[in-house]
Amino acid sequence: MFEIFTMKKLPKSRRNFFLSFIRCFCIIFCLSILAFRSNTSSAATIKIGEINPLSGGLAKNGIEIHQGIEVAVAEANEAGGIGGNQLELISRDDQSRPDVAISRAEELCSWQKVAALTGGYVDSLVGPIAAVAKKYRIPYVASASLQKELAQCKNPFFFRVSRLQDFVEPLCGILTQRFKPQHLAILHAATPGSSELARDLERCLKTHGLNVKLIEKFRPGTPNFTPLIAKMAGMNIDVIVSGGFTPDHILLVRQLKENRISPKAFIGPFGIAYESFIKTMGKDADYLYSTCAWNPGITEPGTEAASIAFIQRFVRMFKQQPNTTNMHGYTSARALIAAMQAVLHNGLPLTGDNIRMALTKLDLVLPMEHLAFDKTGDPLHYKHVVVQIQKEKLVVVYPSDRASGQPVYPMPPWDQR
Amino acid sequence: MWTTVLVSGISMGSFYILIALGFALIFGVTRYFNLAHGELVVLAGYVAYWLWNVYALSFVLTFPVAILVLFLICLGLKRLFARLTEPLELNSIVLSFGIAIVIQNSMLFLFSGNYRLIRIPSLNKSFHFHEVYMSYGQLTLLVLSLIVIFLLYILMYRTYLGKALRATIQNKEAAALAGINVTIMGTFAFCLGAVLIGLAGPLYGCTHYLYPSTGHEVTLLAITITIFAGVGRLSGIILAGWILGLAEAFTVILCGSSWREMVTALLLLILLAFKPYGILGNRES
Amino acid sequence: MINIKTKNFRYGFNKGLSPDKVSLLMGLFLLLLLPLLVRQNDYILQVFTHALLLATLALAWNILGLSGSISLGHAAFFGSGAYASALLSLDLGLSLWITIPLAGFIAAGLGFIMGLICMRLRGAYFALATLAFIEIPRVITDNWDEVTRGSLGLVGLPGFPSLNLGTWHIDFYSSFTASYYLVFIYFLLLLGLVGFIFRSNLGLALQAIREEEIASQAVGIRANSFRLFSMLLSAFFTGVSGACYAHLVRYINPGLVFGLHFSAIPMIFAICGGRFTIIGPALAALIIYPLDQFIFHPLIPTGHEFLYGAVLIFAVLFMPAGFWGSIQRTTN
Repeated sequence: MFEIFTMKKLPKSRRNFFLSFIRCFCIIFCLSILAFRSNTSSAATIKIGEINPLSGGLAKNGIEIHQGIEVAVAEANEAGGIGGNQLELISRDDQSRPDVAISRAEELCSWQKVAALTGGYVDSLVGPIAAVAKKYRIPYVASASLQKELAQCKNPFFFRVSRLQDFVEPLCGILTQRFKPQHLAILHAATPGSSELARDLERCLKTHGLNVKLIEKFRPGTPNFTPLIAKMAGMNIDVIVSGGFTPDHILLVRQLKENRISPKAFIGPFGIAYESFIKTMGKDADYLYSTCAWNPGITEPGTEAASIAFIQRFVRMFKQQPNTTNMHGYTSARALIAAMQAVLHNGLPLTGDNIRMALTKLDLVLPMEHLAFDKTGDPLHYKHVVVQIQKEKLVVVYPSDRASGQPVYPMPPWDQR
Repeated sequence: MWTTVLVSGISMGSFYILIALGFALIFGVTRYFNLAHGELVVLAGYVAYWLWNVYALSFVLTFPVAILVLFLICLGLKRLFARLTEPLELNSIVLSFGIAIVIQNSMLFLFSGNYRLIRIPSLNKSFHFHEVYMSYGQLTLLVLSLIVIFLLYILMYRTYLGKALRATIQNKEAAALAGINVTIMGTFAFCLGAVLIGLAGPLYGCTHYLYPSTGHEVTLLAITITIFAGVGRLSGIILAGWILGLAEAFTVILCGSSWREMVTALLLLILLAFKPYGILGNRES
Repeated sequence: MINIKTKNFRYGFNKGLSPDKVSLLMGLFLLLLLPLLVRQNDYILQVFTHALLLATLALAWNILGLSGSISLGHAAFFGSGAYASALLSLDLGLSLWITIPLAGFIAAGLGFIMGLICMRLRGAYFALATLAFIEIPRVITDNWDEVTRGSLGLVGLPGFPSLNLGTWHIDFYSSFTASYYLVFIYFLLLLGLVGFIFRSNLGLALQAIREEEIASQAVGIRANSFRLFSMLLSAFFTGVSGACYAHLVRYINPGLVFGLHFSAIPMIFAICGGRFTIIGPALAALIIYPLDQFIFHPLIPTGHEFLYGAVLIFAVLFMPAGFWGSIQRTTN
């Protein structure tokens, strides 16, 4: 049946022609498919591209960012679009892989010819996308990026709505002013943002006189933390800061409970302040700490009405309560929309450079933050608060000007709950 | 602290043994390396997850279904492997590598890359044991693996089928001369392998996060244990599994969690460089 | 993989203008003109640039594959080449024309270490050893924060410096055509080199080792030395390709450059294209990769990479000599 491929039976001259033909045919075939499918952009819509990890290990967060962006786009379109034109959101999945992120970014910028890019979760994905955006001179507002080097990279087309130091400062504050642990452990995942958080937190603590006893890196998705837990117990660790993501926290807390190890506090900056986490863990989630930029009920002072409007729209569109990751997506998309509105308002064409210029001058009060960018693309007024889960609800415990409750420290041991 | 590490290492190690048994059996009898082994375990885990999640099937009942699905898949694989030409071992590596990619992407397509976990609350409760706490999950892994090893031991050493399998493992040509149908033995090996993978998969799904690319690590584990043990020795596999589990646990304590992945690979390299025929195994021609 | 008993096995470079040569030249000509053919579409150019890079990887892999060894771990060389060049240019500020060859040598050094460990192994065991070997440089790079920035990866790597040729100013960063031709020239050079190796004494010796190792040793060919040397060459060029990749993409991290993606794909292209041919691997790279990106990816956004597994299975079972190899065998 497959002898044709070994081509033993065909006469020689015909076979040579056949093989040359096949070679040319393949290349021309590919090209013609392309020409046929090449995209003609309809003049009436403005295209915004987004690249998120919609599958792979970070899928949960990527989908949440995507949802936030969709809310912003729907909101803008309902209000009549930008300059009378409707917005078209073109979504791509980078599968939590940097090489796929690069090719999706290339596709969106050169083939789909989007006006701007947004989205992104975790810097190993955001970094490559930013490099591609710079190459095509298309502005990119990253929804969730922390690595400092990306902003220092002299990329005028890179902006982001989050910043690492605003995770570090409140954590440093509550640790040095309230908790004052004897033996502190910082665990972090093998991702750029998490690693940098650990490094900066350690530095900040050192300047305030607090020494970290143990810093460990683990791979996200590690199945068994028991040896690490035993190690920490052996070192009498009293406060654990874990820079992993939600799946890691679920396993780590559960295994802490299995081994009856009760630290005085467990702080998970990423991934704990979510209703889904609380629902999964139930009572075991109580007394855990996290940081939060926004949550239903925790919003920038003065933006309560906008916050409620966002929540209502989100519930209408997705039938569930929004969380801070959704809000990051929403904020980044709102930044782009506002910038594009400013460009068209001034009668300028919607080019990458003009949108970029408008972004540098942006000043927008949103539920998550008072959004304005500095010269490197970092947000000027991004703030986190420290929250604790008490009776399965998030309670702000630090800083005191925004606190709505007192932290319960130390955490009651597992046996006494 | 050290007792906790010991307990953790042994229970994880026992699970590694269970994972490696299927691979070792198939390799021993047919001399095919099945680099898709890890993906098959993960697939069995996904099947169990899907049944548990979508159809609310009791976890215990997912085992027979996973075994059945793996049964069919392994029989299909056997037919693919049968078409291989010499050199068998190398070609089987390349073929199974391709199969692994296909299975991995099929799982990506069907189940998406989200982390999945079969949550069984009763397994998370722990009990006090001397100074150590052990979770029921760890205990289940340990006990189940030991039971399976015991059953396999009975099969291999107390039944005629087992005798024929062992003969084929030791020397294929001699077994053929002795009248054993080597091809049927190969099919049996694949079937037994399917059962073992079908048992390991759901257990994997309730102790580890399931995502398509996790199969690679599992395959590396199975290969390391099999090569460590040499061909045809059950005791070697048990020892290998425990040593690997303990090595990983001690590496975490002594060097740090970030070096854990290198343990398996380093062990495999050292084995291949110095003792490719196993620590306890006999030298093969 | 196949015991070839015929003695007149040439690799298609017969004297004179054989049909194979003509089709090869036609293909190269098409590639040369590609940027002109796709004026309006940078995306196609980018895909083919990446395809050419993968083709160089496949060619480099095949230098070792000629000896019959299958290596599943070439990502170790790719990644170390990428990191070496990136760190040298980023931290020491050296010019790319220095760091890229240096990266090749560092990768070759790693190949030497791997060779020392694995040279006594044959066939399947060698392949397994290479599979395990990737983890070592990957975990070390991931953990050695002081030097490699660990998981943070390297951001903002310098691109290729602009060239001024007379009145022509070539900027590799903004011009996709320029980077395409850069990779194309490297590809041509490597193709010529591989062709030279295949026909040289080294190539003949490697073929002999592949087909009948014991007999070749009887003739006086020291199998291990030749295999080690082919491993060094293979590692060198894989490292250079890795360095090129790093400076084209300008961002690397351990998961990206040490991933199975860069290990598996050159091997797949080489086996599907034809392990014992010169242009087989390159041909496979230039056909399968664009096929995957242009047709399968839009059709099946998640899971389209099954294509690579499928062609590998097909090649192993039905076309062991690869696509080009099967065609070639009937030439003789």
